[in-house]
Amino acid sequence: MNQLIKLLTIGALLASTALPALAQDKTVLTMWHNHPEWKDRVEAILAKFEAENPTIDVQLEEISGPQYNTRINTALAAGEAPDLFLLQPGPDTAAAGKAGYIVELTDKLDVTGLTDAATDAATIDGKVWSVPVLGSYTVGLYYQRQIFADAGLTPPTTMAEFHTVCQALLDKGITPMIAPAQDGVIPAFLYMLLSSSILGAEGFDEIRAGTRKFTDPDVVQAAVELRDMYPCFQEGSLGTPYVEGKALFALGQGAMLEGGSADYAGFTETNPNVDLGVVPFPAVAGGKPSTVTGMEGAYAVNAGSEHVDDAVKFLQWMLSPTAAQMVVDTITLTTTEGVLPADNRVMSEMLTAAQSRDVRVFYEFPETGQVMSIIQANAASLFLGEMSPEDFSASLQAVVAPSTL
Amino acid sequence: MATLSPSASTLTRPARRSRSGSKGARKYAHLWFVLPGLLFFLAFMIYPALFALYVSTTGWTGLGNEFPFVGLDNFAKALTAPTFYRAASNNLIMFAVILIVQHTIGLFLAVQLNAKPRFMEFYRTVLFLPVIFSLVATGFIWTLMLSPHIGFINPVLKDLGLGFLAKNWLSDITWALPTVIFVQAWQGLGWAVIIYLSGLQNIPEEMTQAAEIDGASAWQTFWRITFPMLSPATTALTILTFIGTFRAFDVVYVLTGPIGSPAGRTDILGTLIYRTAFGAAGQSSADVRMSYAIAMSLIVFGGMAIISGVMIKLLRRREIEG
Repeated sequence: MNQLIKLLTIGALLASTALPALAQDKTVLTMWHNHPEWKDRVEAILAKFEAENPTIDVQLEEISGPQYNTRINTALAAGEAPDLFLLQPGPDTAAAGKAGYIVELTDKLDVTGLTDAATDAATIDGKVWSVPVLGSYTVGLYYQRQIFADAGLTPPTTMAEFHTVCQALLDKGITPMIAPAQDGVIPAFLYMLLSSSILGAEGFDEIRAGTRKFTDPDVVQAAVELRDMYPCFQEGSLGTPYVEGKALFALGQGAMLEGGSADYAGFTETNPNVDLGVVPFPAVAGGKPSTVTGMEGAYAVNAGSEHVDDAVKFLQWMLSPTAAQMVVDTITLTTTEGVLPADNRVMSEMLTAAQSRDVRVFYEFPETGQVMSIIQANAASLFLGEMSPEDFSASLQAVVAPSTL
Repeated sequence: MATLSPSASTLTRPARRSRSGSKGARKYAHLWFVLPGLLFFLAFMIYPALFALYVSTTGWTGLGNEFPFVGLDNFAKALTAPTFYRAASNNLIMFAVILIVQHTIGLFLAVQLNAKPRFMEFYRTVLFLPVIFSLVATGFIWTLMLSPHIGFINPVLKDLGLGFLAKNWLSDITWALPTVIFVQAWQGLGWAVIIYLSGLQNIPEEMTQAAEIDGASAWQTFWRITFPMLSPATTALTILTFIGTFRAFDVVYVLTGPIGSPAGRTDILGTLIYRTAFGAAGQSSADVRMSYAIAMSLIVFGGMAIISGVMIKLLRRREIEG
């Protein structure tokens, strides 16, 4: 018995000295992203990766969207960025690559499984600097199915129908649309949707090339429609913060909301019983119902990381069908080709919506990178009649920097 | 004794040598005590300020290592931008209103507290509490209270039969700036009360008693004796309020966001500089212009330094005359 105790004691001592050694062998990758509301879902994906790769531990830090760019830009300048981090595709990633902050991934990652849009977003001048591994988002029109059913309405497909629906809901004392416009982001997406209805992907490429302009009479109609939507918004929309607006909609305080596939997880967090449908945004006269699509950021590897190989290994795993399936089933649309939602009706509806007329978000391109901030700054003036649709459109065109595509 | 003398001389000689040999060292010995603080000041104040001055003459976006020299372009651009003057005028309005509030309501409350009412400590604590609240928390609390959807201010007004006073406080172009100023004034009122109260407590009672014996009314005593003797407090409070309102950011950012909603009506220098330096949307940094933001900061810094200097000079003269 004594011998057994001695053996167990020696064994325990050996184990206690060996365990820290094993722990030290584990590589810790630090990672930042900008959706605190996805914490549990992303942690579940990371747990799956860690189970398959027991020598790597990914430590996630979530920074809320409005603060994210400030934090990452400051950390990059100070040389204190994590091993892996989200950057917006396009101008932000190009600047980080040019500055030598991030590792070029062209020959390190196999990105052949990405969708066309994701491949385009990941590639800058033929080089891969970052990959959108936590999905993409498509923005359309969410609507409360119960409110529409009770009111005997169907989701609008044109702006004319939108105004009819808006009036019908107002008459019943229901807020037609939640549009949290305090920081101007929602009005910016509304404009992108309305102008995309007119332009389509080809027309947007022409804007980037300088052969079409936001001031063209047919495109100005998008600004007219944006202005005319204002009476359908909730009370105090210009002072409503984004998070409050999303919560109001999830709680059924309004019938419609322009929103992205990535927002759905947040709606269900706020109200597990929320009953939503999604359709493409109503068409402007002469256009088609539209959606816009952007990447949920693209993940880059810090050039100063001591664990570049493990970070690349992680990104490659995130591009696998296993990870992509988890992303599309629990968070948002995936960027991996051929991976469809297994049991998520709203994501399936969003995919269907995107088949109407889908255009990439303007801010992911260097030519139109600043358009969004101008919409943010001027949309309220347009709503309040302090700026005409023509002047609004001219202010957007003024910051377009056309290039040869 | 005989044995002590030589040893005493050997002991004192080196000491004398050290004193005579380090005359300069002795004269400047105190500088060694200043050195750590000086190094800290140089590293964390002077160097960043000089670096900021350098960056303001470049076109640095805030990301990357390219610092193209642009001379004084950023300064010229800021000084000709309508948004800069709109923000500065909002700061000015905020300063004027808060100054009036502090010199009237703040002084009134301080006088009441100086009369040592029952529960004085309690009142003093309650009045000072907002000052020690986190500015961000203050902003959030007021955002929630003022919300037309989830706030309680409008429902309370309606329940009191004052429904006509209910407003969209933060989204109405007429009411947004006054509301923001009100919250800022509420947050800083405790300072005014404490500064005036300490000033009142420093006034010798004999002076007011002598005035009363001479037949002065309470009003005359206040205006002829008390108020002039509060001049140092008035000076300090005016300068602190000026600096505080032109450095305001946190509460306004939380209440009305990065673009000074609605339609720029609540845009102040703090929010303008912040969104120019870091962008107004999480989606993109494409509109970030760090060097331009730094140039604006330096203009504000220079303007505040000059105006503060002039105000101190004028207010001190008033103190002496008083």
